[in-house]
Amino acid sequence: MIRTQISDALEPLHNESEPVVTVQHLVKRYGQFVAVNDLSFSIKEGEIFGIIGPNGAGKTTAVECISGLRVPESGSISIHGLSPLKDRNAIRGFLGVQLQESTMPPRLKVGEALRLFASFYPNPADPDGLLESLGIGHVKNSTYKKLSGGQKQRLSIALALVGNPKMAILDELTTGLDPEARRETWALIESIRDRGATVILVTHFMDEAERLCDRLALINLGKLIVLDTPEAIAAQAGGKRVRFVPSKPVDDKTLYAIPGVKEIERKEAYVTVIGAGDLAASVIDSLTRIGVHVSDIEARGGNLDDAFVKLTRDDTSKVQERPQS
Amino acid sequence: MTSTLGDPKDGRFQGHFAELLKVEGKLSLREPSGLAMGIGFPIILLVMFGIIGIAVPGNVAGTGHTVLDIYVPVIMVVGFISLGISSLPVTLVRYREMGWLRRVSTTPTPPSRLLAAQLTLNLVLALATILIVIFGSELVFGATLDVGVPYFVLSIVLSISVMFSLGMVVAALAPSQTIASALSGGLFFLSLLLSGLWIQPATVGGPLATIMYYSPSGAAAQAVLYSVFNAAPPVTAVVTMVVYTGFFAFIATRYFRWE
Repeated sequence: MIRTQISDALEPLHNESEPVVTVQHLVKRYGQFVAVNDLSFSIKEGEIFGIIGPNGAGKTTAVECISGLRVPESGSISIHGLSPLKDRNAIRGFLGVQLQESTMPPRLKVGEALRLFASFYPNPADPDGLLESLGIGHVKNSTYKKLSGGQKQRLSIALALVGNPKMAILDELTTGLDPEARRETWALIESIRDRGATVILVTHFMDEAERLCDRLALINLGKLIVLDTPEAIAAQAGGKRVRFVPSKPVDDKTLYAIPGVKEIERKEAYVTVIGAGDLAASVIDSLTRIGVHVSDIEARGGNLDDAFVKLTRDDTSKVQERPQS
Repeated sequence: MTSTLGDPKDGRFQGHFAELLKVEGKLSLREPSGLAMGIGFPIILLVMFGIIGIAVPGNVAGTGHTVLDIYVPVIMVVGFISLGISSLPVTLVRYREMGWLRRVSTTPTPPSRLLAAQLTLNLVLALATILIVIFGSELVFGATLDVGVPYFVLSIVLSISVMFSLGMVVAALAPSQTIASALSGGLFFLSLLLSGLWIQPATVGGPLATIMYYSPSGAAAQAVLYSVFNAAPPVTAVVTMVVYTGFFAFIATRYFRWE
């Protein structure tokens, strides 16, 4: 009985049916170029929602429409029931935004920038505490131009978080960071989510998306290709992959004759076959029989990276074929 | 609505505007090129003409005034030109180019407040220039001015308005900092010439004098000149400045972009 009471009490917190962001049929053009083409998705409270896609896919345009920086051609966006254009001020009070390619006055000091932004919000976080928690407390009195790339990124995150936002939009957060700084930034993003905020993360790094995101929207040419958990999307890459180096060249026909092989990829001396069944064993078996030795064997299941390449390639070739048909 | 004054929103507005102004002030002290142009340049001119006024005590064209007396208005207008045409637009275009205006626009504070803080800062510097030039010329170099306060206030307000609004046109139209610098550099020297810094319109005569009187900086210098000798500024100068200010403000607000 106690258990029932607790779960009843917790229910509203875990109410996943109410999305906090709803995007419907969003369209945005720049002249002739259609950056976002009929995009629809919704984001749940408290999740890290990833938007991935190749360069120029429309990721940044989509989040800029959500944050009210751009006016969409058509379609609707709702954030906690508010419109980014009509209720601009209300939304800005609880939305923290980190922009791609935005810098600040070179002689502005870290502490000054944070105090300034804190003054913009109704219930700001303590600037000094925030700097400490982001590991840049020691550069509080340094000017912006003296900061390293990683410190600039952290300051940018700090500015996005200083208003104690319910929702944060982070665009290409780890681009240009070294591997260690990237890992530290990931921990940071998880800590934002742990505070209960919803995070929209734009990225083109698959490892980042796989590691951080609860759900992912894969966008290509302004359209939604797939929206699911990273695991479910990775599964779409399909089948197993066996990579090896044959002792002498083997043609495609021979490889397709091996039981289970569905696709072939070649890179330098490496051959990768994709398919089902006991793939590694049948490859070794079949090739040994015709006198080809196989070395450097690596077998694995499909991952997000494979799924990304497969899904965007299939989609792009479909679009390119269209004018001919 | 009656509680507007006690509204916490109101306090927040004052809070963030004060913070913006403080930050802009600190930045202008750390990058003092604007300060040097806006206040330093008029001070140099004041000292130059002050020394000339003492060395060649004179009576310009039988008016009973020294060279310094005649040049005090021009020196003030030069200060407004430096701040309005050079300092203000170059800073704003730089902020736009680096994405700073856009960054601010993602917060509850509209980027127009940042623009307002920049304008306010430059206004404060313009007031400092006025005080330095008036009191410096009278107390240090013995200028004999007879400032007619209402005329002076009117002339100064219009002069600053016309120069700052011209600067805002540059800020609105220049797509990059490089172009803004080139554009404001050209307008800066043209405005100095037309203000009468090198040669006064009364000395030039003819069509050039007419052009000077009907230019933004020439009209400004003329109006301020009358007012520091307790005379009403000429109607033509007042109308000229009002028309230019209206035109510049229209262009600036029509074409200003935040990103």
